[in-house]
Amino acid sequence: MISEAPETYRPPAGPHTPTRPGPGGRRRAAKVSRAAAAWPYLLVLPTVVGTAYLLLYPLLRNVVISFQHFRTGELIRGGAAFVGLENYQDVLGSPEFWTVVRRTLAWTAVNVVLIMVISTLTALMIARLGRRMRLAVMSALVLTWATPVLAATTIFQWLFQSRLGVVNWLLVTAGFDSFDGYSWFADGDSTFAILVLLVVWQSVPFAALTLYAGLTTIPAELYESARIDGAGSWQVFRGVTFPMLRSLFGLITSLQVIWVFKCFAQIWAISQGGPDDATTTLPVYAFQVAQSLHRYDLGSAISTLTVLILLAVLVVHLRRMYSREGEEL
Amino acid sequence: MRSRFLAAAAVLTITAVLTACSSSTESPGPAGSAAAPTTLTVWVMRDSVSDSLLKSFAADYQAAHSGVTLDIQIQEWDGIGQKVTSALASNDAPDVIEVGNTQVAEYAASGGVKDLTDKAAELNGTDWLPGLAEPGKIDGRQYGIPWYAANRVVIYNKDLFAKAGVTAPPKTRDEWIDITTKLNKGGAQGIYLPGQNWYTLAGFIWDEGGDLAVQEGTTWKGALDTPQALAGMDFYKKLQALGDGPRDSDEANPPQADVFAKGDVAQLISAPGGAVAIEKANPELKGKLGFFPIPGKTADKPGAVFTGGSDLIIPEASKNQDAAYEVVKALAGEKFQTDMAKEMSYVPNRVSLAGVLSGSEGAAAMAVGAANGHATPNSPNWAAVEAKNVIKEYMTAALTGGDAAAEAAKASQVIGEILNTKS
Amino acid sequence: MRLRRLPLNLAALAVLVVSVFPVYWMVVTAFKPTRDIQADTPQFIPLHPTLEHFRTAVGADGFGLFWRNSLLVSAGAVLLALAVAMLAAFAVARMRWRGRKAFILMVFIAQMAPWEALLIPMFIIARDTGMLDKLSMLTLIYFIVTLPFTIVTLRGFIAAIPAELEEAAQMDGASRAVAFRRVVLPLLAPGLMSTSLFGFITAWNEFAFANALIIKNQDDRTLPVWLSSFGNIFGTDWGATMAAATLFMVPVLLIFLALQRRVTTGFIAGAVKG
Repeated sequence: MISEAPETYRPPAGPHTPTRPGPGGRRRAAKVSRAAAAWPYLLVLPTVVGTAYLLLYPLLRNVVISFQHFRTGELIRGGAAFVGLENYQDVLGSPEFWTVVRRTLAWTAVNVVLIMVISTLTALMIARLGRRMRLAVMSALVLTWATPVLAATTIFQWLFQSRLGVVNWLLVTAGFDSFDGYSWFADGDSTFAILVLLVVWQSVPFAALTLYAGLTTIPAELYESARIDGAGSWQVFRGVTFPMLRSLFGLITSLQVIWVFKCFAQIWAISQGGPDDATTTLPVYAFQVAQSLHRYDLGSAISTLTVLILLAVLVVHLRRMYSREGEEL
Repeated sequence: MRSRFLAAAAVLTITAVLTACSSSTESPGPAGSAAAPTTLTVWVMRDSVSDSLLKSFAADYQAAHSGVTLDIQIQEWDGIGQKVTSALASNDAPDVIEVGNTQVAEYAASGGVKDLTDKAAELNGTDWLPGLAEPGKIDGRQYGIPWYAANRVVIYNKDLFAKAGVTAPPKTRDEWIDITTKLNKGGAQGIYLPGQNWYTLAGFIWDEGGDLAVQEGTTWKGALDTPQALAGMDFYKKLQALGDGPRDSDEANPPQADVFAKGDVAQLISAPGGAVAIEKANPELKGKLGFFPIPGKTADKPGAVFTGGSDLIIPEASKNQDAAYEVVKALAGEKFQTDMAKEMSYVPNRVSLAGVLSGSEGAAAMAVGAANGHATPNSPNWAAVEAKNVIKEYMTAALTGGDAAAEAAKASQVIGEILNTKS
Repeated sequence: MRLRRLPLNLAALAVLVVSVFPVYWMVVTAFKPTRDIQADTPQFIPLHPTLEHFRTAVGADGFGLFWRNSLLVSAGAVLLALAVAMLAAFAVARMRWRGRKAFILMVFIAQMAPWEALLIPMFIIARDTGMLDKLSMLTLIYFIVTLPFTIVTLRGFIAAIPAELEEAAQMDGASRAVAFRRVVLPLLAPGLMSTSLFGFITAWNEFAFANALIIKNQDDRTLPVWLSSFGNIFGTDWGATMAAATLFMVPVLLIFLALQRRVTTGFIAGAVKG
């Protein structure tokens, strides 16, 4: 039974490690290990096949469309002609695209910074709370996390409704009379702000709970010795907490970057990219161009560029991840 | 043992796949049910024809055509362009689709719509309203079959008019502002005009002699920033302020008929058929609704209006094109056209049927306005201008304190860019 | 001491209120009669609770049907994703093989897929394979959307289970499969639950594909598509809108309440290792 190829099982090094001769002698071991070597590939096969057909293949077709003249007629009748780089020239040459890129980067930066700062503070706070309060706060965060996007957008529209919305009522009651009947969704900046609020509200729970979990793994002795050395709380964070959780911070930040950058449903449901394009980020822009203007070719070019930009933003993280995967299991 | 693990894994995967698949095969989907030999799917836009009329039409049609079941599906205006395009591009499209007359040109040009030129004679094509027949025609071939037309009038609450001491409907814009100011007192709204009712704005702009966009040679130019168009916007702003209409929304959100049905709104700009929806939402208002044409700048000329309406198309991807044509024939035929004109106060698709509207207060008001009817810029790209909400967002910006001239210039530029896109 | 903790507890209270209030406000609005919803001074506690709005929402055309469709599609996608992801996660967490790093990188990059941009290619593929207007196509798409995240988290969970436990079981004569089933699977249960919950929410929420790929067969629409036309269905009736939103949230909420403990601890374990 030990011949069940333990050598693929947490070995000290890569696949080329010489196999340990099993009870059946060298020849049998070699045979078994060759069969065993096929194991991981069999296990990932469904994933690879599924991803190839349902993600890679559509992605490829998307890239193909981006090199074609592909509008309503081509979608219906087929027979699209290749136009080389024309669509990319169109997109890259339009100032609107670059405005959207800048806006998307700003949108991502504002959201991710807010999410990470608030989550870190919340996680540190949870760790210091008494048992009952901690449970209450964590439950509340879980509740927020569980709120479906569509329900959340509907709620926020209701909260900020101009005539009956509770936010306007609170502001007026607090003495800001100018908010009487204020239409939040009529103005670009205020719509942008509400969307940031919504996305931060929805994203903080995941990040905060995960960071808190990370905090609980840090041995208490480390904190004690830091305190004995006379470190203040900021120094403790910088000297102990952050270094210990560096990889967790990296993972959460990069996940948030991906999620916020790609964020579409919230923006589309609340503002469809308006008013006056003030909330048009790259995914919304690609959708608008493709679906509202029926310029599927340009939309494909934009979304291809979107992926490239996102990859560029995350390349540092990806490289570090790739090299680190070698050491840890 | 390895093979057992493998088998277990395989079983797990297969079970999951089966679960996933069975979830779809289980769903009955009446549209595809085997009960009837043919089920024809008909897409009708929300609020274009009343439920009761559609129901009685379906019942009559099914009685006359045994073996045919009509599945009439109501579509939302939001995102309709994407929906219809997908349907045309699919392999099994709905059999008959209602499309707005500003959008039919784009679909007809796409190659996904059945050419019905040889049926025009049978449908009395020479008698069709040009405003519906023209957009449905490309290069001399007829793709869209005219269904109905309508233009906007003012619907008013007679009780509130009487209470405010207003005895006669206004004849000019100045009078209109005066009486609306009078009506906008106490708990009542003088007029419910949402900020993004751009067809109404278009009318005011045409009144001033302006337009939404103009063509110079082969190049389009957005025209919202002309002095005439800005004057139209200025009047819209004045009127809009005499009620609680939301400045960041259009007449569909919330449905303006529901707002009016609450009884505290004195006036509403709508096609006369809107009265049907109002009375349905609040039966107490039956008989208390009046109509008058949108007032012009002077008493001798009614306000300009947008001539709206719908065509019917049969997708190439419909699997029952012949049966679908029979439905189109019935919907475009005299019987249904007469019924619809009476119930909805629409202008029938044929000029010679216009007589059925006599005696209807709403239709009479509409007919006065129709004399000064206009169309949106004649370009297949116009649908994209609508889809991108360019005018609506300009209106909200101008109404919420933005610099109207600057905002108009921005919007005009976008309109020009979209219209000048080669398809 | 008490006083020193006051700012901390105040901050906690603020987090609590900000987290809960929007959801609370939705539920409260759903239970208030329309007259109270439109009152000039909002009531923070429903004084005249009513089920009227829930009746409107449930009574609206097709609500039950769409609810069921959503449930089927989401559950199907999650089960499929879990099964496939478990195999892959095991390979990644427990085995060494050439191409492993590339595979992990691929999974991570797959999370960046701009799904909304794939609407047209997906539409064409579905059309050409006769999968248009079918819930099974949606199930497959939601499966692939949730798969990468499921693999990443499950891998963390599996890595968190000491390999020695399995090795010990195998020493005792159990096969690898048996060892997996008896030792790993029970320990993995919380992880599976929390991961499936995430996948469920994603699928339950999805709008763009459901809207684009279900065209003619309108009885196969899902809840988000139907809810997106709230304004058209309920008009200014915010009570009914909030009731429908509440009902939309209920399944997710129920699973959460039932599993809350396991989900949080399970998720935490997975995340830290991941």
